[in-house]
Amino acid sequence: MATAPLVSCDTEELHNLNIDPQAVGEIDMNYLFTAAELGAASAGSAGDNRYIDWRTNIGFAAYAIQQLATASGGISPGDKYTDNVESYNAPWEFIYGDQLKNLAEVLKQTGPGGFAEGTKKNTREASRILRAFLFHRLTDYYGNIPYSQALQGIEEIYTPEYDHQQTIYTDLLKELDEASAAISASNPDDGFAAADLIYEGDIAKWKKFGYSLMLRLAMRVSNVDPTLAETYVTKAIQGGVFTSNDDNAWVPMALEPSEWTNQNGISRAFAAGDGGQPTTLSKRLVDMLKGADASTAADDDPRLMIISGGVDEDTDPLVQEGMPNGLDQALLDDYLGIEGANQSEHFSRINVLLLDDDDPYMLMNYAEVELLQAEAIERSIGTVPGTAKDHFEAGVAAAIQMYTPFDASLEVDDAVAAAYAQSLGYTDGSGDALEMIGDQLWLSKFFNWWDAWADWRRTGFPILVPTDYPGNVTGGTIPRKLRLPSHEVAVNAENIAAGATLPDNPTTRVWWDGGN
Amino acid sequence: MKQRYQVFILGLLLVFAGGSAFAQRTVSGTVSDTQGTPMPGVNVIVKGTSSGTTTDAMGQYSVELGNGTVLVFSFIGYLTQEVEVGARSTVDVTLTEDIQQLSEVVVTALGVEREVKALNYSVTEVSGEDFVQARENNLANQLSGRVAGVNVSKASSGPAGSSRVVIRGNKSLAGGNPLYVIDGIPMDNSGFGQAGLWGGRDEGDGLTSLNPDDIESITVLKGASAAALYGGRGGYGVINITTKKGSARRGLGIEFNSNYVFETVNDLRELQTKYGAGNYVGGVATAPTTLQQAFDWGSSHWGPRLDGSSVLQFDGVARPYSYAGDNWDRFYETGHAWTNSIALSGGGENQTFRFSVSDLRSSTVLPNTGFDRTNVTMSTHAKFAEKLTLDAKVMYSHEDAHNRPVLSDSPGNAVQSMWVIPNNVDVNVYRGDPNKLGAIPEGTSAELLEIYGQNGDPRFPGQELLPAANNWGQNPYWAAYQFINDDIRDRIITSGALRYEITDWLWASGRIGLDWYTRRDKSLTPEGTGYQLGGALSEGEDRVKEINMEWMLGFDKEFGNISVNAFVGGNRMRRSWERISADGTGFNVQFFPAINNSVTRNYGYGFNESGINSLFGSAEIGYKGILFLTATARQDWFSVLNPEYNSQFYPSVGAAFVFSDAFTSLPSWLSFGKIRASWARVATANLSPYNSNLTYSLNGAPHLGRSMATFSQAGGNNGTIPNPTLTPALSDEVEFGFDLRFLNNRIGLDFTYYSQRTFDDILGVTISRSSGFGATNVNLGEMTNEGVEILLTGTPVQGPLTWDISLNAAKNTNEVVFLADNLEEVVGEEPRTRNVFIKHIVGYPYGMITGRVQQRDPNGNLIYDEDGRPVASANYVPIGNGIADWTGGINNSFTWKGINLSFLIDFKIGGDIFSGTNNRLIQAGLHQKSLQGREGEAPLHITGVVNTGTSESPQYTPVDRDLTPQEARDYWDSVGGEATAISEMFIYDASFTKLRQVVLGYSLPSKILSRTPFQKVTVSFVARNLAIISKNIENVDPESTYSTAPGAQGLEYFAMPPTRSYGFNLNVGF
Repeated sequence: MATAPLVSCDTEELHNLNIDPQAVGEIDMNYLFTAAELGAASAGSAGDNRYIDWRTNIGFAAYAIQQLATASGGISPGDKYTDNVESYNAPWEFIYGDQLKNLAEVLKQTGPGGFAEGTKKNTREASRILRAFLFHRLTDYYGNIPYSQALQGIEEIYTPEYDHQQTIYTDLLKELDEASAAISASNPDDGFAAADLIYEGDIAKWKKFGYSLMLRLAMRVSNVDPTLAETYVTKAIQGGVFTSNDDNAWVPMALEPSEWTNQNGISRAFAAGDGGQPTTLSKRLVDMLKGADASTAADDDPRLMIISGGVDEDTDPLVQEGMPNGLDQALLDDYLGIEGANQSEHFSRINVLLLDDDDPYMLMNYAEVELLQAEAIERSIGTVPGTAKDHFEAGVAAAIQMYTPFDASLEVDDAVAAAYAQSLGYTDGSGDALEMIGDQLWLSKFFNWWDAWADWRRTGFPILVPTDYPGNVTGGTIPRKLRLPSHEVAVNAENIAAGATLPDNPTTRVWWDGGN
Repeated sequence: MKQRYQVFILGLLLVFAGGSAFAQRTVSGTVSDTQGTPMPGVNVIVKGTSSGTTTDAMGQYSVELGNGTVLVFSFIGYLTQEVEVGARSTVDVTLTEDIQQLSEVVVTALGVEREVKALNYSVTEVSGEDFVQARENNLANQLSGRVAGVNVSKASSGPAGSSRVVIRGNKSLAGGNPLYVIDGIPMDNSGFGQAGLWGGRDEGDGLTSLNPDDIESITVLKGASAAALYGGRGGYGVINITTKKGSARRGLGIEFNSNYVFETVNDLRELQTKYGAGNYVGGVATAPTTLQQAFDWGSSHWGPRLDGSSVLQFDGVARPYSYAGDNWDRFYETGHAWTNSIALSGGGENQTFRFSVSDLRSSTVLPNTGFDRTNVTMSTHAKFAEKLTLDAKVMYSHEDAHNRPVLSDSPGNAVQSMWVIPNNVDVNVYRGDPNKLGAIPEGTSAELLEIYGQNGDPRFPGQELLPAANNWGQNPYWAAYQFINDDIRDRIITSGALRYEITDWLWASGRIGLDWYTRRDKSLTPEGTGYQLGGALSEGEDRVKEINMEWMLGFDKEFGNISVNAFVGGNRMRRSWERISADGTGFNVQFFPAINNSVTRNYGYGFNESGINSLFGSAEIGYKGILFLTATARQDWFSVLNPEYNSQFYPSVGAAFVFSDAFTSLPSWLSFGKIRASWARVATANLSPYNSNLTYSLNGAPHLGRSMATFSQAGGNNGTIPNPTLTPALSDEVEFGFDLRFLNNRIGLDFTYYSQRTFDDILGVTISRSSGFGATNVNLGEMTNEGVEILLTGTPVQGPLTWDISLNAAKNTNEVVFLADNLEEVVGEEPRTRNVFIKHIVGYPYGMITGRVQQRDPNGNLIYDEDGRPVASANYVPIGNGIADWTGGINNSFTWKGINLSFLIDFKIGGDIFSGTNNRLIQAGLHQKSLQGREGEAPLHITGVVNTGTSESPQYTPVDRDLTPQEARDYWDSVGGEATAISEMFIYDASFTKLRQVVLGYSLPSKILSRTPFQKVTVSFVARNLAIISKNIENVDPESTYSTAPGAQGLEYFAMPPTRSYGFNLNVGF
């Protein structure tokens, strides 16, 4: 056959068929940044906003650290320390596969050689801060994870090697340092303010978020790498951390247009009408909120009736009661002395005002920053001004007063909040100072259970009594790590063997928790 | 088939019969076949002379006898008969089919007819008659057991499901289907979805559109050589469908066919019926004593031994705690399928037509599920001025699939619920509200409604009546009657072909074909469904269009002993797909499911298009009709690949040598002998449009007015990385074979050996999600298939009683040779039990089932934990393979006078199946095995070791004891779990032998018919899937699968029960 007719078959018309009319070759990187912000809160950018909260934040962490309790199993493995593949897989799938992927692309295209190189400087720096937030979350879950080789599928790195958690933390702290310094009001906006769901382009708040996160990360490694902690606690305070609840990092949610994208994933994960998780509060949490004397409301934490919506609609603080963890239906019946008891009728449940589908989703709050400063002072880590007591009380008050974005009616007067904080009787240098700080960190992270779990693993506070349900997989101890996802084990076994946190069991400690 | 040869035979007559004949004596008569049907076009020659004639449309002939005394009756495909005329003036003859003799002419690639003996590759033709009596809605299922080397599997998915056809083994890791071609024009056989890990439905494929009554024959082009002329689309083999044409005849031919079959459940369950709903309390099996317990334990079968005592059930009524009888009998129905077809045909010398209408109404065993189809087909053949012929055809089909069943996981799944009903509960209790089956009835007590609400608001009448505290434990009536999953497809497959004979050795043709359909789907999760109280509705429409335009220029001439048959041509294919959909969740006005009543609404839009441009050519050179050399070539250009890489050349060469005609010294018992050899290369571009370049798309929904975006191809959290440098995957195949026939064609043996190698395969490689993506496409795979195909035919008895037997068998050996650097395996499907994965592993065959096995200590002892549960391996290891080694079938056919009995037995040998059903049944306490270890039953004994040390420094202590009932229950739960599974416990040998088809027919003799307006009346008893003759798995059909997707073979999970169908077929010709 002649060459001429052959060539003529390879037509421009044929090539053009492969141009997708619904897609573009280059796009505004702010769109990816917005998607990552939404994803960091509820994974709505991936089209399933409740999956990760349902499986892991609630199903695993909220039960394991005993803020919620349930008599069922399945995707509530945290209550009785059972295995659930989905709870193990979900953060890996969504954080790497959606949020971090989008951020990596923003950094790639705004970086050297990218089609948006040199533009969108603030979007870029904010992306680095958000990236650090998401990566530390991942490594806290799993220990050593792919980091330096991660997110480079397009560069043909299909089975990335694992980095040690210390390497990851060291680099994340460096990233936060650089990005928090580099994000600047003098950079051109380039659409950042309009794209930014969290602070609507408020650069000062982004800096505070970056340094507050630096404080969190520095304190998290403080037990195992005091030098690193020391350096970055000091840098964080010098850089300027959150100073009020106005600085809190919230991602606003909406009812429309898609329940899978725009709504709050935590609220949806609790939706009874959709088969969600029960909203029963744990005995440990309610007991702590009710104070030392259960027979009076006088010493109650003002958060008691903010977090609790009542027992079977009874909102009398005195009748509030939490459910012990580790019960199944039969044990629950025994516990209550009622055959066929319904856990939702007998125990306090989460206040429905906190569970609207368009309630905002908090990433990080001011209270934590104050409490971490108190701890740093107590443990003489870095240079932190003020007294531990001042920071502690400011943190407690802030935690009490942070619920108004859920509902205006949840406002607590400054005086009430301050009085309660003072009533706890914190004394600098006292023997129970660290425990009080740990308890308050735990209390300040309702809904933010994944991070409360990390705090508990690091501080050991509050003191939790593990459950020992028959057939649990931890030998009756509170889990300290997620198992690696089943698909990761299936495809990346060699790198896991070489560098993951092993053995890959829920009882293995990650590096900052004293592991290898 | 017959009509096609008329022209040919007439031509022969012109050559041989000459002009004049002696006019002495005339003999006349009728020629008919064994069923009494008159045969037109039969060659009648006076032996020893050149005079003769052919029978007319009524099978009648009249011939001048001249000096002859013997008449020779011959017709292609029938045994030639010589008849001594004697003094008779009327000679009626019955010709019997020569089933040994393969059709002398078959349809090969591009619709080109070829003499079988010239072919250098194996080709199998199946007659359409095999499909019309015992029917299948999906034509592909009819190929099961009929064609050596063709492996057919269908999902257990009801009447409108898809089929997976694999020819000569899996050639690509990405899977791939054969190309289906109707009268030379490719048709679209795209599937619309399969069930997966989270459930879903088999949404069917393209083949259900076809009406079996319209099929003349199906030719399977198995190997690369046979399919090389289809280039990139023929890489997985080609299934050539030839439709029926009209025939020249006197008057109008009318054929009416009516088929009515029943379908019943073939119940293979053998479950325990001794224990009822309940749970272990303090180590003791306990029946519920409170409403709450009755509800909470509604799907747990760990209660005490059934004792007839009065025990509460989930609906608040106490009933005897005893076996409630067979719930499948109560729930499943008898299905019915009624097909009525009428075909008209006729025409004259220059123009013929055929027109047919067919109507199928069917329901299946699953209540409220069915499939209806109407086909209208019109075809015409016209000849103008001797040189120009036109063939045109329009096939219209209307398909209506009603409530395709949900498979695999539980949402909307009635079948799964039916598997796990407690022994002591009558499924009729699940009916609830008689006016809204499966719903909570009016008058349900507030206490129950509160309990049903679990931790949320109380439920209310009209919502789903859940039988247990599990929102996904669907009420089967609710799933069957309140869910909607309907789709309607309107389709037109049309083609026109013009052929012009430029000279008697040169021709040109042009052909255009269109396959165009819209598929309207509607899916409702009803308001009040346990796991989605708000409900959801989805409405959508797909539009698919494929146009093929083709030209050819052909040359056919003999030069002395040399014959040359050659052509060149070109093809242009364009395919487009578009989808528009609207989704709503939640409804403003209660129980009114309409998009315009939904609370939140979304719309969706999808579009893609692709094309292939091709040039091709073929040349066959024959020597004395003994030796044939053929070479073909094709070049394709694919739109889905980037221009630098989008083109591929496919050559093939081959030879066929008919040695029985070449050597005269061969023994007389050898009637025919041919050897053949060929080599070919094909290539495939198994890639969706727009997947070769990285692009970005906007997310469907913005957030608070802000647009969001991500990678187009990798949205969500499990995307595929586009690869701009992909090239077509290549596949080389060499094939040898011989075709021998003995004892005057009464015994035939056709043998084929092939060896095939796919390389540069486009792999959708599952990668670590820490890469940001779930998969990528690379051009690296290499896989081999090697096998043999045997077709053995024989006529042990011939005469008034004829017995024909045909055995086909094929063995294929597959190996994954190479994936990618540092890539030892590719991961496929994960079933809902989440304790196995299909993997394609280097050095193993495609599609290994991998899972967890019990750990052993260094001495090989099984390791248990201190509670007696087996300790599972951390890694997944190969434990089976879902693809059979051997496939085949035996077809027997007996003919005696007007009676015909045929039955098809087919088999697959050597595959494995992971039974998710048995896995779950053991966990649920319904499997017979789960009796072990209960109080009062045989104890569950373990022998092995327990690690009493640490995981770092293990110390193994022997254990040899019976488990307590509580431990036994935990044991059974653990072995079927996820991270704790002993997956190998649920692997079975999937080999089977089945009685696939039986047809017993009776044709009224022509003597009776001659006094009626009918030319042919045949009544048959027909049956499909009557019996499973052998299998090695309990409770389920070894053929069960919930998906026909590639890489999902060997997985089974709560399949629809297998069914038998049987009934009657009436065929009447006027």
